[in-house]
Amino acid sequence: MLVLAASVRAEPLVTGFERFHGEVATREGGALLYSELGCVNCHGAGPGLAVRQGPVLGDLKGRVNAEWVAAFLADPQQVKAGTMMPGLFEGLDEKEKAVQVEAVTHYLMSLKPTGKAAKPKVPKHANAERGSAVFHQVGCVACHAPTADFHPAAGAPKAEEFTSRPVPLPELKAKYCVLSLAAFLEAPDKVRPDGRMPHLGLSNEDAMDIACHLMDFRPSDPREAAGLKAFAVEAAKVKRGGEIVGKMNCAACHELGGAEKPVVATVALKAKVGGCLTGEAAAGRPRYALSAVQVAALELYLKGAPELAVAERADLTLKAFNCMACHDRDGVGGPDVARNRYFVGDEGIADAGRLAPPLTGIGRKLRPEWMESVFKGAGRVRPYVKTRMPVYAAQAKALTKMLGEADKKELPKLAAGDLQAGHKLLGIAGGVNCITCHVWGDRPSLGIQALDISQLDKRLQAEWFREYLLNPAGYRPGTLMPPLWPGGVSMVKDVLGGDAEKQIASIWEFIAKGEGLPEGYPEYVTGAFELVPKDGPIVQRTFLNEVGAYAILAGFPGGLNVACDGETGRPALVWRGRFFDAYSTWFVRAAPFEDPLEKEVFAWAKGSDAEGGGFRGYRLDKGGRVNFLVTVDGVGVEDGYEVAEGTLRRTVAWEAGAKEPGWSHPAGVMMSEVKGAKANQRVFVYSWK
Amino acid sequence: MSANLNGRLRVGVGCFALLLPLGAGAIEPGYEAFEIYTASSPSSSRDATWKPGDGVTLEVSGLSWIGPDRLGVTVRKGEVWFIDGVLGEDRSKIGYHRFASGLHEPLGLLQDGKDFLVVQRTEMTRLQDGDGDGVADGYLTAARGWHVSGNYHGYAYGPERDGKGNLWVSLNLDMGERANNGVGWRGWALTVDEKGQLQPMAAGLRSPCGFGVNLDGEMFATDQQGTWVAATPIHHLRKGVFYTNQESIETLKDPESAVKVTGALPKDCPYPEAVRAMPQMAPAAVWLPYNKMGRSGTDVQVIDQQGKFGPFDGQLLVGEFTNSAVNRVFLEKVKGEYQGACFPFLSGFPAAVVRLAFAPDGSLFVGMTNRGWSSLGNRSYGLVRVRQRGEVAFAVKEMRAKPDGFELVFTEPVDATSAGEVKSYSMESFTYLYSGAYGSEEIEKAGCEIQSAVVAADGMSVRLKMKGLRELFVHELHLDGVRAKSGEGLLYPVGYYTLNRLP
Repeated sequence: MLVLAASVRAEPLVTGFERFHGEVATREGGALLYSELGCVNCHGAGPGLAVRQGPVLGDLKGRVNAEWVAAFLADPQQVKAGTMMPGLFEGLDEKEKAVQVEAVTHYLMSLKPTGKAAKPKVPKHANAERGSAVFHQVGCVACHAPTADFHPAAGAPKAEEFTSRPVPLPELKAKYCVLSLAAFLEAPDKVRPDGRMPHLGLSNEDAMDIACHLMDFRPSDPREAAGLKAFAVEAAKVKRGGEIVGKMNCAACHELGGAEKPVVATVALKAKVGGCLTGEAAAGRPRYALSAVQVAALELYLKGAPELAVAERADLTLKAFNCMACHDRDGVGGPDVARNRYFVGDEGIADAGRLAPPLTGIGRKLRPEWMESVFKGAGRVRPYVKTRMPVYAAQAKALTKMLGEADKKELPKLAAGDLQAGHKLLGIAGGVNCITCHVWGDRPSLGIQALDISQLDKRLQAEWFREYLLNPAGYRPGTLMPPLWPGGVSMVKDVLGGDAEKQIASIWEFIAKGEGLPEGYPEYVTGAFELVPKDGPIVQRTFLNEVGAYAILAGFPGGLNVACDGETGRPALVWRGRFFDAYSTWFVRAAPFEDPLEKEVFAWAKGSDAEGGGFRGYRLDKGGRVNFLVTVDGVGVEDGYEVAEGTLRRTVAWEAGAKEPGWSHPAGVMMSEVKGAKANQRVFVYSWK
Repeated sequence: MSANLNGRLRVGVGCFALLLPLGAGAIEPGYEAFEIYTASSPSSSRDATWKPGDGVTLEVSGLSWIGPDRLGVTVRKGEVWFIDGVLGEDRSKIGYHRFASGLHEPLGLLQDGKDFLVVQRTEMTRLQDGDGDGVADGYLTAARGWHVSGNYHGYAYGPERDGKGNLWVSLNLDMGERANNGVGWRGWALTVDEKGQLQPMAAGLRSPCGFGVNLDGEMFATDQQGTWVAATPIHHLRKGVFYTNQESIETLKDPESAVKVTGALPKDCPYPEAVRAMPQMAPAAVWLPYNKMGRSGTDVQVIDQQGKFGPFDGQLLVGEFTNSAVNRVFLEKVKGEYQGACFPFLSGFPAAVVRLAFAPDGSLFVGMTNRGWSSLGNRSYGLVRVRQRGEVAFAVKEMRAKPDGFELVFTEPVDATSAGEVKSYSMESFTYLYSGAYGSEEIEKAGCEIQSAVVAADGMSVRLKMKGLRELFVHELHLDGVRAKSGEGLLYPVGYYTLNRLP
């Protein structure tokens, strides 16, 4: 099913090592391995990278099949090539090994979760095909192998385009059941608190669909999927297993749940060569199938002082979390040619519309509080990038602090800004036209829908903003963002004397403190579903507050609007300004009762027409009039509305020979009558400010 | 796209020179499908913030063939579109033209002389194009009077004309906030007389999402699994009967109610007991067992194509929402009432199948929309054309009840050895619990002993004799061992016969 067959290479995969330090042994590469392989967890004295743990093992019984656990313990690299889990039963004879593996399995399956295990909701429907689409879109394949069923629009990758092995998945059908895999995917941080398999903010539905895809479960009802195989723990084996686990110091890497915290023993390094590095089987020694370059790198690291400078730490931390799978930093990293094919988004914004932003100087780009909120899962500002920034809530504070220190650099301060000038410069009336491409709050831009710039001050550091505007490509090569002050020279000479520094500061000033919209926004650019009458009236039925379930709205060019009750035929409301947003009426399953888009709405005063006496439909005439066919006082009436000279004109025409019904008018609105109407007709003009 | 009632709007979609076949294997052998128009949405179909893709939001809610090469389509956001050129081979030549807009979720379309009738949430509306410019200018109330609470589930369907010319409308039950099912014919099928007056005909429906007329001119409707509805039933609509759902039972007290009930209402008992306890209760003509045949039946379309759509003329096609499929229903009259069997038929559509209509050339148009629920399709909405071409798969064409068993008619001669062996078949019967719960498990399951299987001389049919047939139970037949003369097995070796009456 996977595009890449399991590799024959079996050394543990630390992607950041394999991709960036895998050719020649370096001390940095060794530091990364020392931390990521968990060496530091037993031996201490590490490089100070974010803690690398194994999975939390409480509630293992609720998550995975015991049979798989036993197989994995017996030979981790065989069951999951590239795993960082070492072989722990080396140097034992086969019989003793089998006994110990079984005992440890019983022990692990007996563990209880520390907290209350949350039962995730199980959706009634699942869709494996959709799961595949989500799996390939939200970022799973930045680390894991794509599956063969999915064909990226950019073409399938070639094997040689992958610069590192995919992070291995075990035989999922052996390990999980559909529901337990879905539960894991929905909240991986519960099992993997170290963030190496990060929380992607998948919805309940996304997680289930992906699980069904990965487990190849095709029926639509996931509740029908087979569960985990039953396993009965035996007390004697649990006891024996517990002793072995204590002796092996498993708790150094794994949280084992349970009430009492197991003691973690520090194993002082006696020598800086040999031991675990040899790869030779010996009782009591974990066996890592290290490659030669991995061994050499670890030896290099162990020879020097363990501490690293903050810039090195930042670099290795980003590699440890595999941030570089998506992000580029100082020209290094970002998706390789193969994985790049799976990053999709808004083609209108070119690569910036589909790829994650560079991390170059990220610590001086983002305000620390914003960066922290991004790590915590908030602050998603690029809705067009379909790959999701994972959540690193537990690490947020430390990562923010580290990146801030690593990227610290004295930058020139921003000059004093001018609000008025900023208002003009952002706009399209003699400004630098920011809003042509950039979204402003809830206003779409006039062209491509690039990043919302109305709140940049909340995100960015002012000094970085200045540096970026002077040379956008310096931060992101190939960006569509043009240099608006090439060589520090403004192209707009008549604002602030063409002073680039003052202009940039003024743009910042308006973003931070200005009110309203940048200059030159055309009259309201609609959300896609606001109805804006232009060439003639627009009629729309909906459920409307104050009118009811039968409401019929008619909006006219020039911003005059009326609502009629399609049950009784009564004229109900008039208002001036924006007409109606049809989104909920058109697309929301449980559509709410709606309101006009303006707050100032006038209702009909009491009168026999305001009661209504029946509704028979409406006609639209060529002149732009909407004629409601109603009954008033038992008389058939055409109650017509149109715009004439900026006012709302109402023409009522009743059946020839019948007694004229009683009319009333919206309260609070000026009414005048046009004299000289035809027989059986009256023409009223409504106007108001 | 701005709405302009006076202007003509044409939207070009796609730039493919040829019709694109759906993925291989999506449709049963002998049938090929072409995407006329499909769209994805950037959000999932159950998302409260769902948005459509670009272009025409063709969330099909009504389909009606209105000219030699013109298809009329209602869409859920409240528009009527005319689509021209869909029978050609060149998708770029298809024209989309908006005829009407501003309607409130119309769920059906019917041509009536020069006019068009649509049922929207609040009324049946006559759409007129008085000035002949191709865009409706008259939106005239043609019938109303049912209760509209404003609850989302209060859908209204139709109109559809039966063989006698009656116009049928059906009304969903409300569900949730503002729900009011006790008044105004919620849960009823009604006809509309020439004066526009509603004639309440049959009660006890829940979500009768679609209907259609068989070759006898009789009207059939689906209902959907939910409270008081165990699975998807096909009901024969006629005056004075009650089906299953009691949530609108108060409406039976209305003086105009065509259904009068005296005595206690059955509840929490096996469905056959309920039918026997309540003389007004008309049993479903056919049950489409839940999950086995899909989850939610939608439209009904009779095959009346003189063999142009395979050898199934006279049978009903039933749209299936969740599984994005089309099922097949065989009906026969036994002791004056319709009953019959259902079979899986076409599957793999790109979105939930909601509407079906045959084109003049015998191809089937399948209208789809997922929004608000889920389907196995990976698109949000659209329109697919299905053509019969080549040999259809080996299938059970008909399953007829006999006093002591069934007669099976096949699409091609069977292999006399395998089809003549009792062990090639197995049958179990079951029924449902009749209660106010949402859906029902299959209950009172029992096997039927197959005593003999006799192949007809021409090999086209097999007569099964068996023990243990039960009236009002669903009989699930498996034919795993049956081979065609060619050696081929059945594509779907299963059929579900609803045996209301033994002949």
